[in-house]
Amino acid sequence: MRVIKHYRIHLGTWAFILHRLAGLALIFYLILHIWVIHHLINGKSSFDGVMEAFNTPLFKLLEVGLIGVILYHLFNGLRLTLMDMGFMIERQKALFAIAVVLWLISWFAIGAVMVSRLGELSMSLVSTIGGWA
Amino acid sequence: MMIRYKEKATTGGTMLWLFQRITGVYLAAVLFIHILNLHVLLNQEITFDAIAGRVATPLWKTIDISFLIVALFHGLYGLWIVLDDYIHWGWARVCIFSAISIVALVFTILGVITLLPFQVGG
Repeated sequence: MRVIKHYRIHLGTWAFILHRLAGLALIFYLILHIWVIHHLINGKSSFDGVMEAFNTPLFKLLEVGLIGVILYHLFNGLRLTLMDMGFMIERQKALFAIAVVLWLISWFAIGAVMVSRLGELSMSLVSTIGGWA
Repeated sequence: MMIRYKEKATTGGTMLWLFQRITGVYLAAVLFIHILNLHVLLNQEITFDAIAGRVATPLWKTIDISFLIVALFHGLYGLWIVLDDYIHWGWARVCIFSAISIVALVFTILGVITLLPFQVGG
């Protein structure tokens, strides 16, 4: 009981669990992504019709979330690769902190651009609906 | 992680483990460019016309096809690494490994036949 009571999941273990969960999510997304993009085969109207269905604020927000998952897996993966090569093994926590900072900065920067365009999309939706009314 | 490494070293898995790292670094670069290109630099909706011109150029076609194959390998081999840790039942492992291999083949072909036909100027 003492052992269980004092057991604690370390930072690296969390990073590892999140890396796997993100990776699993990404392979399922990749398969769906190839399936959606293969509509290019059927030409312009087929592809644009499919893409139009994803042109909603909900899907844009899901895309921002997806990019967060991608960038976590990307920067944590680079951290793992550097450590496997023996780089910064003595300073694992610092390397982890760098990876987290790069993840959050890049996600925030790309997300901010996408969310700002979401505003334009919402405005165009509002004016379209306004036009109908 | 170290235990995995030692166990795999006897089965030739070390090469695959190294390849997973190499493909990961390649994907980090190309995927980052992919996201910047399509969600930041391309300041419009993703339509057929918006991407056809780029995909038609030999350089981008090469990048996109290599990206497709490397991403499928890295993702599906990664999926196998995870399942390998939890599934110990002989025939289930064979079935799942076969299913993953078939998915890899089918989606590689689907992706390649999507990208190949694009030609500059038409």
